[in-house]
Formats: sequence, C-alpha cells, structure tokens
Amino acid sequence: MNAPVRNENLQLVSGNHAVAWGVKLVSPDVAPLYPITPQTPIFEKLVDFQSDNLLSTRLITPESEHSAMAAAIAASATGARVFTATSSQGLLLMHELLHYAAGARLPIVMFNVNRTPAAPWGFWPDQIDSLAQRDTGWVQLYSETPQESLDSTVQAFRIAEASNLPVMVNHDAFYVSHAVEPVSIPAADLVQSYVPKSVRELRLDTGLGHTIGAPIGQEGWNRSRRQMDAAMQTITGLTHEAGQEWEKLTGRSYGPLETYRTDGAEMVFITMGSMAGTAREAVDVLHQKGIKAGLIRVRLFRPLPIAELSTALAEIPRALVLDRNYSPGMGGVLHQELLAGLFGINNPPCIHGFLAGVGGVNVPVEALEKLATEYRNAEPDNNPIWVD
Amino acid sequence: MNNQLSPIWTHLTSEGRNTGTWRSALPNYQNQPSPCHGACPVHGSIAAWIKQVKDKDYHGAWLTLVENNPFPAIAGRICHHPCETACNRGELDETVGICSLERFVGDMALENGWVFPDPEVERTQKVAVIGGGPAGLSAAYQLRRHGFQVTLLEVSGGLGGLMRHGIPAYRLARDVLEGEVSRITAMGIDVRLGVEVADKEALARLHGEYDAVFLATGASLPKRLPGLDYDQNFVMDSAEFLAASPKAQITATGAHVLVIGGGSAALDVARSARRLGREVTVMSLEAEGHLPAQAVELTEAAEEGIRFVSGAMMVSASQHEEKVTVQAQMVDFQPGNGPGKFTAEPIKDSTFALTVNTIIPAIGQDADLDRWSGLLSAEGPVLDTTPGNWQTNHKGIYAGGDVASMSRFVTHAVGMGKEAAHAIAATLATDLPAPPPSQQAEVAYARINTAYHPRHSRNLQELAATDARLKTFDEVQQPLGPDAALSEAARCFSCGTCIFCDNCFFYCPDMAITRLGGAYEVKLDYCKGCGLCVAECPTGSIHMQEEAR
Amino acid sequence: MKDTSYKDEGQFCSGHVACAGCAEALSMRVILNAVGEDAVGVVVPSCVAIILGGHPTSSARIPFIHGVLESAAAMASGVKQALVAQGKEDTTVLCLAGDGGTYDIGLQALSSAAERNEDILYICFDNEGYMNTGGQKSSSTPRAAATGSTPHGKTTRKKNLIEILAAHRIPYIATASTSHLPDLAAKVEKAKTIRGMKVIIVVIPCLPGWGVADNAVAKVSRLAVESGVFPLIEVEDGLKYTMNVDEKTQPIGPYLDQQKRYRHLSNEDREGLQLDVDESWNRLVEMADR
Repeated sequence: MNAPVRNENLQLVSGNHAVAWGVKLVSPDVAPLYPITPQTPIFEKLVDFQSDNLLSTRLITPESEHSAMAAAIAASATGARVFTATSSQGLLLMHELLHYAAGARLPIVMFNVNRTPAAPWGFWPDQIDSLAQRDTGWVQLYSETPQESLDSTVQAFRIAEASNLPVMVNHDAFYVSHAVEPVSIPAADLVQSYVPKSVRELRLDTGLGHTIGAPIGQEGWNRSRRQMDAAMQTITGLTHEAGQEWEKLTGRSYGPLETYRTDGAEMVFITMGSMAGTAREAVDVLHQKGIKAGLIRVRLFRPLPIAELSTALAEIPRALVLDRNYSPGMGGVLHQELLAGLFGINNPPCIHGFLAGVGGVNVPVEALEKLATEYRNAEPDNNPIWVD
Repeated sequence: MNNQLSPIWTHLTSEGRNTGTWRSALPNYQNQPSPCHGACPVHGSIAAWIKQVKDKDYHGAWLTLVENNPFPAIAGRICHHPCETACNRGELDETVGICSLERFVGDMALENGWVFPDPEVERTQKVAVIGGGPAGLSAAYQLRRHGFQVTLLEVSGGLGGLMRHGIPAYRLARDVLEGEVSRITAMGIDVRLGVEVADKEALARLHGEYDAVFLATGASLPKRLPGLDYDQNFVMDSAEFLAASPKAQITATGAHVLVIGGGSAALDVARSARRLGREVTVMSLEAEGHLPAQAVELTEAAEEGIRFVSGAMMVSASQHEEKVTVQAQMVDFQPGNGPGKFTAEPIKDSTFALTVNTIIPAIGQDADLDRWSGLLSAEGPVLDTTPGNWQTNHKGIYAGGDVASMSRFVTHAVGMGKEAAHAIAATLATDLPAPPPSQQAEVAYARINTAYHPRHSRNLQELAATDARLKTFDEVQQPLGPDAALSEAARCFSCGTCIFCDNCFFYCPDMAITRLGGAYEVKLDYCKGCGLCVAECPTGSIHMQEEAR
Repeated sequence: MKDTSYKDEGQFCSGHVACAGCAEALSMRVILNAVGEDAVGVVVPSCVAIILGGHPTSSARIPFIHGVLESAAAMASGVKQALVAQGKEDTTVLCLAGDGGTYDIGLQALSSAAERNEDILYICFDNEGYMNTGGQKSSSTPRAAATGSTPHGKTTRKKNLIEILAAHRIPYIATASTSHLPDLAAKVEKAKTIRGMKVIIVVIPCLPGWGVADNAVAKVSRLAVESGVFPLIEVEDGLKYTMNVDEKTQPIGPYLDQQKRYRHLSNEDREGLQLDVDESWNRLVEMADR
C-alpha cells in the first residue's frame, strides 16, 4: 500500500484521527455527529479542533444517528458542505435516510467505521454494515490505512460534489480506525484548491423558491432513478480523476482498484479494506514459494467498477475473493457481486469465495497461503467457504 | 434548472391548478333585508344607516334615513318601533335601540342644519296634498324630492297634524317638530294653512286643477263612549284636551282626572294632566299587561304616579257638586279580529265606584268619510284604496294616514305617504327608476355568526328624574351621547348588509376572495365552495348558491 | 366586532389541494404570511405536506424541504446551521409537522432540538390523529374519540405535549386556533423575534377525520377554545404560563355535537370528558397563577 511519499508534516495518528484531519482540511460548513464506538474518536477529534478554534464547521449534536443524517440532509439541501460519521448500528439506523440523501442527490460525505451489528453485540471489524447499504445510492469507498482514510475523505468531497451523489468512505474497526501510523497531513490550502467551495445553483435559500423532495408521480420517480444511474456511470471516471489529481498534489495515487503483482499472476486475491494488508504479505510469501499470486483491492465498491475488474482479470485464470462480511443465505457480498459482475466476460477467471475474518476474527498470512495452495487447482464452487 | 435534478427540485407555484372545478356551490354576495327593515312601516334601510353610524358617517346615515322618512328626530322619539320588536339581536341579549340611534342622527341633523338635497329635476306636474299631518307631509316630501310641484293644504293653523295637536311636548319637543316640518316646507312646497277641502265637490274641483291629489285628512271624529254625556262640563274629549294650551287644560280639569282608554292618546292625556298637578286614574278595558300603549309609556306613567284601573269599564257617571261618581265594572276583555274590534264581557258582582272631578275619554278617533261620499267609496271605517299604491276608487285621487287605515301610528302614516307618493310619481313620470325589486326573505337569526358579536346589554337613554318631569313639559327621554350611540350602533348585527369586515377574505383557505374596495369578487378558478366565508359572515350577507355544471 | 384581520402578502398560493374548507390550509395562510419571505421551511409527511403540494409545484413562496416523518426538528436544525454557516443568522427556519410527526414518531428529534434550543419555529398542526392515512389514532388523539384504529373510542388521554415541551424550558410555546386568526398571526410574529426553539400547536378540526361539516372548522375551533378543550395559552421559558382566553364559556357538549368521532358517546362518557376538561383547565389556571 502507498506509504506517505512526501514527508511534509508527518504525524503519528490513528485512522480515525486521520479522517478528522481530512475533514478539518476540507472544512465543511456543517457536521452533525453522534457518538458510537468505534467512530467516536473522529467526533472527538473534530470537537477538539473546534475547541482550539482550528475548525469553523458548525457541529450539530442530536440525539441519534438518524437525526444526524436528517440534519445532514437538510443542511446539504440548504447549500452547505456537510460531513458526518458513524458506524454499524448508527449506519443501520440511518438506512431510511441514506435512500433520501441519495435520492435527493445531495453531496454529503460520511465516514463509516465498519463494525459488526447486533445481535449478538460486538465491536469488531466486519463490513456487512456498509455493504447492506449498497442499494441506497451512496458511492462507497473502502480504505486500507490511516493515510488512505485521510486522502479518501478529501477525495470523497470532490467526487460527491462533481456527481451530486453522497459518498460513504469506510475503514475497518480498530484494524484501521485505531491503528496508529505516520500520516502525511497535507497543507490546508492544497486541500482547499483541490476541493474549492462553490455555491450550488439548486439549494434552499430565501428568494429562490426552490423546493426539494416534493411528492412526484411514477414517471417522475422513475426518471429520478434513471438520472441517478447516469450519475453512477460517471463515478468510476471521477474516482480515477480524483486520485490522479490528488497524486499530482501529494504523490499518492488512487483509483477504483489497487493491483499488486497481478502481471502474469496465476491467481489473485480480491478483497477490500484492511484484509488487503494481510493478502499483500501472503502474495509475497507465495511468490517465494513459486506461486505467482497477486492482489486486487477493490477501493470503489459502489458503483462496482466492472470494466476495470474485467481488464485487471483478463489474463488471470483464478481469483480468490476474501469477504470480511456475511450475507446470510448468499455468502460473501463481494464474491456474489463479482460472480454477477463478471458473468459473461471473455475468459472469465475461476472465482472462489471465502468468508474470511467475519466478525473480526484474525486471518493470518498462513491461512491465505494455505488457501492459495489448496485452491490452486480446485474447481470453482459458487458456495462460500468459511475460512478457519 | 439543472435538468439532471428536475424530479428533485421544483419552483413552480400551485396557482396554475384550477381548484374551482371541485365546487358545487359558489358564495354569492347579496344584501338581504333585515327583520327590522321588514317590520319598519317606512322600510327604512335600518341596517344600512346604522352601518354608516358605525363608520361615524353621520351625514350619510341621515341621508339614508331620510330617503324613507323625513322625520328621523321625531320617529326616534315617538315611533312605536316594530323594528326593535323584530330585531334579531333579541335572541342573543337585548334588541338594538334603533329609535335611540335614529334620534341621535336626527338630532345631529337639526343641530347642524342639514338640508335635503334639491330635486334632481324640476317637473311641471302638480300634486295637491290635503292634510299636513305625518302622511301628508311624508307624501309632499317624497313628491317634492321627485321634482313635482306640490301644494299642501292644511285646515288648521300649523303643520304636523297629530304630531302637533296630539303628542305632548314631553314626548316630542316642539323645536324638533318645527325643525323637521320646516325642513320639508323649505323644499319649495306651496303650503296653504287654514284651508279646508270641505266636501266632495271641493275635492273634485281640486282634482281638476291638479294632476293628482293625495288625501290625508286624518281621523278627526272622536269615538263616543256609551253611557257618558259629553255635554256635561266634567267631560272633555281627549283630542280637544291634547290640542289645547296648558292654560286651557288647567281650566278644563278638576283635581282628579279619570282618563278612559289604554292607548297612547290616553297616556298622553293622563301624563299631561299629571304635569298640571292633577291626580290621575287611567281606566282601560284591557287587563294589566295588555294595554295597547307602548311599554315605556306605561312605565314612565306609573313612575309619574298615575293610577291604573285595568280590565274595567265605566257604567255611568253622575255629578254632585264638584264630585263625579263613576260606577264601573270589571270586564273580561278579548281583542277582536282587526284594529278597533273587541268584546268586553262584564264580570258578575264586580262593580265598584270611583270619585273623580273630570272624565277625559280617549278611546280613539274616526275618520270623517261622509263628506267624500258619492265621490270616494269606503271600506268600513276607512276609504277604499288599492293595496300598495293607495289610490282610491277615483283615479288620480290617493289617500293615506288615518283616513285610509285603522293603524293609528305616525310611522305607518309616514309609510303610506311615501308609498302613495311613489305610486303617484310612477304614474306622472316615466323616467323614474323602477321600484325596488320584490321583497326577498329577511335574514334569520341563524344566519348571523354571533361569535363576532360579543354580548353587550343595550345602551339605554336616560330619563329625567320623576319629580323634575312633573314640573315641566320638557322631554323625559334624554338622548344618547356620542359614545353610547357608537356603542349601540356596534351592537347592530347589520343583518343582511355587508359591512366590509373582510371576514370572508381572511377566512378563505384558498385565497379565492378579492377585495375590491366596497365589494368582493370570488375567484372562480380557486373557490372550492366550502362555505366557510358564509359561516363566518357576521351579517348573513353572503349565501351559497348551487352551481349547475 | 371581533377582528379577524392579519397580514397577507401572498406567501401562500391558491390552487393547493387541501380539502375544501380545511383549517390547516387556513392556518398555513396565516402562518406563512406572518413568517414572511425571509424564511426556509421544513415539512414532513402529513396533510400539510400534501397541501404544500406535489412536484412540480408548491403552494408556498418560500422554499421547503419535504423531509421524513420522524425528523422534522432534526432537519430544521440542519437547515438552520447551514444558513448560519452561510451568514444568514436572521432567516427564519419554519418547521411544519402534524401531530403524528410531533407527538409520536418525531418526538425524539423534537425533544433533542428543544434541548439544544435550536433556533427553529416549529408548528404542529394538531388534528389529533393520522388523518392523512385515513384517520388512525395518534398519541394526540383525545380520550373517547373514535378513529380507524380506535373504533370504539380511545381509552387513554391525549398526550400533554405542552408540559413535555415546557420541561425542556424552551423560550416559547403557544397554542393557537383558526377561530382566533389575529392571535395566531401575533404568536407567529412574536415567535419570530425570539432566538431559540419555539413551538406553536394549532388545533385543526379535520373535516373527514373528525366528521365536521365543510363550513364548520372555525366554529368547531371556536367551541374547542370556548369550552376549554383546547385552551389558548403561551408558555415562556417553560415556566411562565399565560392564558390568552381565561374563561370557559361553553360546556363540552356543543363541541362534541359538531363531530362524528364523538357521536357514539353516552351521557356518562360526555360527563367524563367534561371532568377531563375541567381538571386540565384547573391545572392550567394554577400554572398561570404561579
């Protein structure tokens, strides 16, 4: 993964504080926030910034994530740049409003810390909370490291405001959220030039008379989804563009996918979030053993970059999908998405799905090494396989 | 508008939607007669002029008043006010003091010297009015307003008729009478006093000289009480008494006066006699509580120390020296079918005696119809006239007042004069506006939204103190002050008369009513026909009208 | 004569789709005009959202967001903070909700906004039930009233939202009625001058939901006020109670008689409701006397 390539203002921060730094640099107008483990450090760091007069964002501290998202929607509709953050139960409580935010085409940026939902209660890294929101119309990015979480937070505003779609950036509870690493904190003016504030033509304001969200007929509702679909088609390109422009400013490049040692690979791991770190190490170990393994890390999950995936997998005969989530009755979400998305392409790879790390259980490098060895010649099985 | 977000955002207003199509009925602004108007003998647009008083447009109020009645100051004092009896407000608390307001406006006109507008055109046709009482003066006035040349013939030496010769000054101050009568004559009426049209030949001659004649000679013949010798010196006719000067009244009466009768004339006699220092007893056939005089007269008379012997009739009267012994008997009185008709059955073993000095019978007057016999035909005690226009059987000769009706009220006479004048005018001139449309239904109490009319008792006129009253013939009832008058006017529901309160405008949930300044317009594109404007109208002057589509 | 006038500068537009004779539309006319043009609105599902109108039109000249049912106060908070962030501290944020969105599903967000003392003018159109969905009971439905979900009459009392709000010590709470239009306008005008959370509850006799005649909403509102069923009051800072109409001039009977939702009541039921009213009234009088 990309280490900080420029050393200016390197600070040792956790993944959550890196997010807060990103937010501070973007300086949204309004941020409704509600505490929840393990998101709370984002909230608290923003409050610290504000207390130290380093942040002018107006914080709203309502009684629930539901109201936080409601306030975020309304503030965004009023023309403000809006940020919020949550996790797990909080995200699930917001579910109704996620549809609203996307349907209303509001460029809200939300950071979600992936955590297991109850029951039973747990506080562990698992991506099912956000994956369960895949149909709400939010763009979803998954981050692997604190540095990426900062960078993706900033890029999310650029993608959101270019597409009028809300963007959710995710990182794994504790593995990323509380992992402390050296993070390069960009200069504020650099970030401001990257995401300049502009006045939106359509907003709730005096003298404009524009009303948002009024009840509409079937044809109009249908049209709204066609228009969302068109907007979604632009996201992969916007993600590329946002990553490339960010690279020009910081030296750190991002795209919808990250590939590692995929050239000439006989098999690749495909995963999202912190699991990529383990997989990357496994790839190196496998190469030492003569197995030409690679890694494709899906950074943009919604919309799923099918074309990019097809290209990346064109010469690769075998893919091992590692899902840190479980969709009951279907298995890993990414696995199923790839089966569906890649169906019908030329020379499709053999795709194996693994439920690896569900509920935050540790998946050591050796486990992945073993999987690669076992499934090097196995026939594909559409059923998911639980990894011990 | 960003086309990509067109289903999300909008900035059109709802004004393009025609909700008028929902409607099955439409509010219709239409002033309707109030019950007071219907009851008023001159149909005096009462709600309209009281509305002008509310607006402090007193001159306007007076102009509205005098369209129908040239005597607001007089009527405000002596009218028997059937308007007040009919007033819707009685169902809420107390009826509106219409007379006191009319007097307020009438007095203001006299104080300020307001005059009638000149006729819009002068006409050449001549009309003779015979009799200068309320009916004759009213007819002369209305005809003159229309521009006709009017000659008014009065047998006595002064105008006013009963108002001058029958109503005492403590009820109707003489300067008020003079003021309102002279304002009529100042319109350019040829007044000829002391002129009698004695018989049918004279009448026919007069008719030959004029385009029309209005006959209002009143009821000049006193009814006679059986069992009473009118030649006795202790008997005096009421009309004669009332017409006499106080000095003559003193001379004609002894210490204790018995007045026989229960109407206003009897009370006028009784109360005048009290003011001369006489002890007075009023004996009537009608039982207590059923006397035909106005309640206020009876109350004031009782306050003034007049004794009532009600439900009794005189049997005989005999004089011994200064004292007159009256034998009387209690009766069971039953009113008959029509004015002046009744039965009175003596009650057994109820005879009693009274000792008095003077007897003044006041049991009514009859019209002298014999002198017109052969020219004008009679219907019972009155001339035969066509209902509504008061024309006699002789074309061109009209009649009104007591000669044509048994209703013995001044305001009725004024109303008859007005109606006859309009009938005459319509015959003589074709350019006059058509008479008002046929009478619509009066506004019922249920049509008034009383939520807008806070309860408030009537503003009463003050009365002079009783002992002070008995020393003079000054007016008993004192006028309302300006504040009390405005307060009283505010009590008027204005039944059926739009007062432009804007309730309809403010209560429309659809903004479907436009204020045009003195009128309202319903926006047909938006009115849904809910009827809230009608329900919240405080005057009942809007109603829902079904729409056929 | 009693005055009914209020400022109308055309902030509420004809052509809306409220039922003919609707008290809520009438109230909106008064409120939108009193609020004026320097305002942004939030509306949540309810009759008022329908009256404001479906795409592509709005019956209000000021902008609105059609929010979600449980989030009126939260959304209003978001609008307010966004406006403040853009330097528009003085713009009024008007929040319109029904009793379902206020007493029931929106109470949590409302309580939170009240606790934060957000600078919002929150109007609850209280028609005592879910009338827009065909008339089911809400926690604002009074005892004995029949609704689609309480066909034999509700067995519990109406929630006392005023006291709940007063417990938050927000600067201004008021009740209003279409029988007293200038009073409603004056309360909105007064609320506009106060920074912080303001809540005005307007009684809305619902034509179909209560079974009221098309032309009778003002009459029923008036009877509600005069009988003390719906007293007109103001509460300042949660402590100072003022009774704007300080006398009950009607028994409850005429009020009940105007409505079909109460027609199943026995005389005993009616007497019970009268006792409820008397008790609530006396409690208010005590509060106002403090």
